[in-house]
Amino acid sequence: MPGFRAALPAALLLLLLSSFPPAAAEQPPWPWTPGAMHALNPSDRHASRAAWTALHYSNYHEASPSTLRALRQVLKATVKIIPGLGVKYYLQFTTEGYINGENAGSCLATVLYLKKSPPEVYIKCAHTQDKKQIQEEDNKFYHYLHHQTKPIIANNIPDSHGNIDRAHLPLWGLAIAGSSYIMLEKSTENLGYFMAQVKAVKQRIRKDSAVEFEFIVLLHETPTQKIELCHMHLIWTLSPPLRVKYICTSDNHWLEDGSGQDYGSAAGLFHEKEGNF
Amino acid sequence: MALPPTRDQVLRAVASNEEQIALLRELGEQVDLQVDFWRDPTKPGRPADLRVPFSRLQAVKVFLESHGISYSVMIEDVQHLLDEEKRTMMLSRRMERSANKFNFASYHTLEEIYDWMDTLVADHPNLVSKIQIGESYEKRPLYVLKFSTGGSNRPAVWLDTGIHSREWVTQATGVWTANKLAEDYGHDPTVTSLLDTMDIFFEIVTNPDGFAFTHSSNRLWRKTRSINAGSSCIGVDPNRNWDAGFGDAGSSSNPCSETYHGPYAHSESEVKSIVDFIQSHGNVKGLVSIHSYSQMLMFPYGYKRTPAPDHEELNELAKKAVNDLAAVYGTEYTYGSIADTIYLAAGTTVDWAYENGVKYSYTFELRDTGRYGFLLPSSQIIPTATETWPALLDILVHIQQHPY
Repeated sequence: MPGFRAALPAALLLLLLSSFPPAAAEQPPWPWTPGAMHALNPSDRHASRAAWTALHYSNYHEASPSTLRALRQVLKATVKIIPGLGVKYYLQFTTEGYINGENAGSCLATVLYLKKSPPEVYIKCAHTQDKKQIQEEDNKFYHYLHHQTKPIIANNIPDSHGNIDRAHLPLWGLAIAGSSYIMLEKSTENLGYFMAQVKAVKQRIRKDSAVEFEFIVLLHETPTQKIELCHMHLIWTLSPPLRVKYICTSDNHWLEDGSGQDYGSAAGLFHEKEGNF
Repeated sequence: MALPPTRDQVLRAVASNEEQIALLRELGEQVDLQVDFWRDPTKPGRPADLRVPFSRLQAVKVFLESHGISYSVMIEDVQHLLDEEKRTMMLSRRMERSANKFNFASYHTLEEIYDWMDTLVADHPNLVSKIQIGESYEKRPLYVLKFSTGGSNRPAVWLDTGIHSREWVTQATGVWTANKLAEDYGHDPTVTSLLDTMDIFFEIVTNPDGFAFTHSSNRLWRKTRSINAGSSCIGVDPNRNWDAGFGDAGSSSNPCSETYHGPYAHSESEVKSIVDFIQSHGNVKGLVSIHSYSQMLMFPYGYKRTPAPDHEELNELAKKAVNDLAAVYGTEYTYGSIADTIYLAAGTTVDWAYENGVKYSYTFELRDTGRYGFLLPSSQIIPTATETWPALLDILVHIQQHPY
């Protein structure tokens, strides 16, 4: 996967986006196979799906609940088929803070959907927040979670009415960051994901400086409209990478026979085992 | 409403060029004028809302007028508005004696919504009546509110919310909107004119079995609750069950799928009841089916990529509606045909309506775009309904002005 702070300057990317077909002289540093390239209507679902794929990558790799972003609007999109490799999207879009909903600046991204592996993403976003402020907020989240003497156990974040307890906001943030890893791996040109709800969460108290959780998260898959249930194990040490292990069930019989409400208390569901990752 | 001249006002100013935007910003920076922006000036054509203390009204209005910046008085009396808001927020979920005291800012159960419908009818007996068009799979009544000022089988518009039960902001928006229609008739010229010439049929809980299930068992239930022969999986996607491209790509033949189209078109009583109603009515000229989430306004086709014969007109109207929606709080919608905008979907409500004589067939996907998704906070119900209202009116007015 291209490094998160990759070499390609954002300006060059912008140039690519603003001149299609791109001028032959502009050659990006990575291998480039000429193929058909065309502009997409920014309203096109493929464009927003690709933008979200890029955001899943960013939201996972930043490992920072206070930097989580959601898509606001796609401004520009082009797509290119790379024969034998996959399909590549070039995007410019605006974002908002996932937790606070405030304008979080615009991003440039490329998303390469491959045939047999997860998408490759390059993304660069404008910084609208003070770096120090971000660190402070993440530290606050981290310390709140790290200084629990009893393991946090919670269900249904948000609840049925879309409400989230202030005390659960850091859990929601962490769940989104971790789920973004799952959603990134599953995303394709034709399948998109959103984290619908944290069904259950249980903390595992650790003696070291890491924060560890087991989650059950519900992912909304489009366009199939399926609700995917995933069991996710997550370790956060404040700085990336976020360590995520997961298993999802595609069998939606789970939700069929009225047992939907009854995932059991998180305590009952998560059996004790040695927490070595 | 004449008030004692002691109150602040909110002015809505619309800059027509960048220079005026700069002037508005300058206005905000003049401390002595005490102007407080409720909505900042962003770009020409978009409204900026400024609260102005009474003592500075004269000076601010002179400033705007002398620079040719058009404005209107949006709120005559801010204090009154704040008091009203406080009053409304203190209302709880008790049995309310009148329909407009219902807590619109909260999600409700099926029973509460059905009870509220009766109070709406009781409060507006000359405008609203309740009819039953059928029964759900589990034998719940399917209720439709009829808005009519008389006439004989006038041209009508069909509105529905909640066909997918987990999309809670839609039923909630339905309640608010039905109330708004009833309240505005006789007061707002547009609504009055609309209802003086057309009837509106509004089904707020289009999938009551699913809705009840989202309350009792699974908040994310989408489909009906019908039993599928030979399968342990329950339910049919009511928005794939219509006879338009039925069974084509964009729907599933697997009963366990969330987009299962059902054993045959109109197999679901929730769907058949609407089909029968619209066909026997014979004069339905518009249909708006409301979903969430994604923030989109769409029209046929969903089951094929071919543009509908009326694509241009439907597209232009969608563009206008979406712009008027965005003007309220800045919420951005995309628009276009279903197939172009969201995905291929076969057997949808709007495709069936369009192919059965209802030219103006639209579907909304309300807030949001994925942060909360189906679990939209109740605090967003009223903003969602409020911003959707002008878009809905655009469609209704267009239908009124383009009889066919």
